[in-house]
Amino acid sequence: MAILDSRRVSRAGRWVDVRHRRLGMWAYALNRITGIGLVVYLYLHLCILSLLTRGQSAWDSFVSLARSPFYLALDVILLAGILIHGLNGLRIALTGCGIGAGAQKAIFTMLMIVSAIALAVAALKIFHI
Amino acid sequence: MPKVPLQIFRYKAGEPSRYDTCTVDIPDSAHVIDAIDAAWAVHDPSLTFRRACHHSSCGSCAIRINGVEKLPCVTKLSDVWDGRTPLRLDPLRNFPVVSDLVVDISSFFQRMSAADMAITCEAEAFLPFTVDSFAVAALERKAVELPEDFSRFNRFEQCIECGICMSACPTMAADDRFLGPAGLAAIYQARHKTDDPKKVEHLLGLADGEHGVWRCHSAFECTEACPQAVDPAGKIMALRRELIARRFSKMWGK
Repeated sequence: MAILDSRRVSRAGRWVDVRHRRLGMWAYALNRITGIGLVVYLYLHLCILSLLTRGQSAWDSFVSLARSPFYLALDVILLAGILIHGLNGLRIALTGCGIGAGAQKAIFTMLMIVSAIALAVAALKIFHI
Repeated sequence: MPKVPLQIFRYKAGEPSRYDTCTVDIPDSAHVIDAIDAAWAVHDPSLTFRRACHHSSCGSCAIRINGVEKLPCVTKLSDVWDGRTPLRLDPLRNFPVVSDLVVDISSFFQRMSAADMAITCEAEAFLPFTVDSFAVAALERKAVELPEDFSRFNRFEQCIECGICMSACPTMAADDRFLGPAGLAAIYQARHKTDDPKKVEHLLGLADGEHGVWRCHSAFECTEACPQAVDPAGKIMALRRELIARRFSKMWGK
C-alpha cells in the first residue's frame, strides 16, 4: 500500500515537470504553482489579521515590519502570483468557451507581457511609497 | 556512418528499471526506429519495443525520444540527435510499462469504447464478417453485401490510436479516471455523428462528468504532440462551448 501511495504521489507530481514541454505546459504548471501559492497566502493573511485581536501594539509592530524591503519584495511576489494566475485564468476561460483556442500560445504570451509590465510598474510604486 | 549513442529505458517485470547505453552504426538519414532495430539486432535481442507499419499509420511504435512523445518510424535521427549526447528513449507516460519501451495502452481503447467509437479506418471496412469469410466469398465469386450504413463505420478523423496525446497530457498524470484527450475527442466526434437526442445526452453527460472536459486545464500538450493533427484540445474546447451554451439555454428555459 505504501508503495502504491508513493507511486501515486510521484505520478501526481509529474505535472510540475516542464522539461521538454511546450508553452502550454508552462502555463499549466505556472497556474497551479501560483494557485497553491495564493491559497497559502490566504491562510497566512488570515493568521496575520488575527494579530488585531491582540491589540494595537501587536498590529503596529507588524506594520512596521511589513514596511521592510524583505516584506515589500514578498508583496511583489504576491502580485506576480495574482497577475499570472488571474491573466492566465482569463486565457483558460476564453479558450474554454471556444474563443481563441487556436491562438492560445499567442494569447498566453501577450497576457504574460501585460503581467510583466504591470508588475514592473507596481514594483516601482511599492518600493517608492 | 555515424556512431549513435542510445540510452534506453529498460524494465522487466519483477526487476528494477534502469537505463542501458549502447552505440549503433546507422546513417544520419535513418529514422529513430532504425536505431532501435539496430540496438535490438546487434546489442540486445531481449529489448522489447513495438513497430509495424513504418510510416505513421499504425501508431504502435509511439515512445518518448529525448523526453518528447514521437513516432520513431517517422522521426529522422538528424532531427532529434545533436551529434554528441546519447539519444534517450523512454516508454510513453501515463500507461503501465509492460516491458522496456512497451506500454499497455488498453486504457486508451477503453476510453474510445466509452465514447462508442468504432476503431476502424476508412480503408478497412468494419464488416459483420471476418477476413476469412471475405476470402471464401472471393473464391466462390459471390458478391459481398455491404451493410446499408457502411459509411458510418469510419475511424474518427486521422487518429491512429498511438496514445501519444494521453502520454503528453499533464492531467492524465494526476487523475487516473480522466477521460483524456483521446476519449474526449472521440466523444466530440461521436456526438457530431448523431442527432439521436438520447445518444447526444449520453455523450454530453460523459463529457460533463467529474472526469470529463472540466478536468482539462488547457495545457494543449495533446494537440502539440499529436502526430496526426487530430487537435484533441480543440475538440475539448468545442465540447465545453456546447456544454456552456446548453446550460445558458436551460437557464433561459429554452
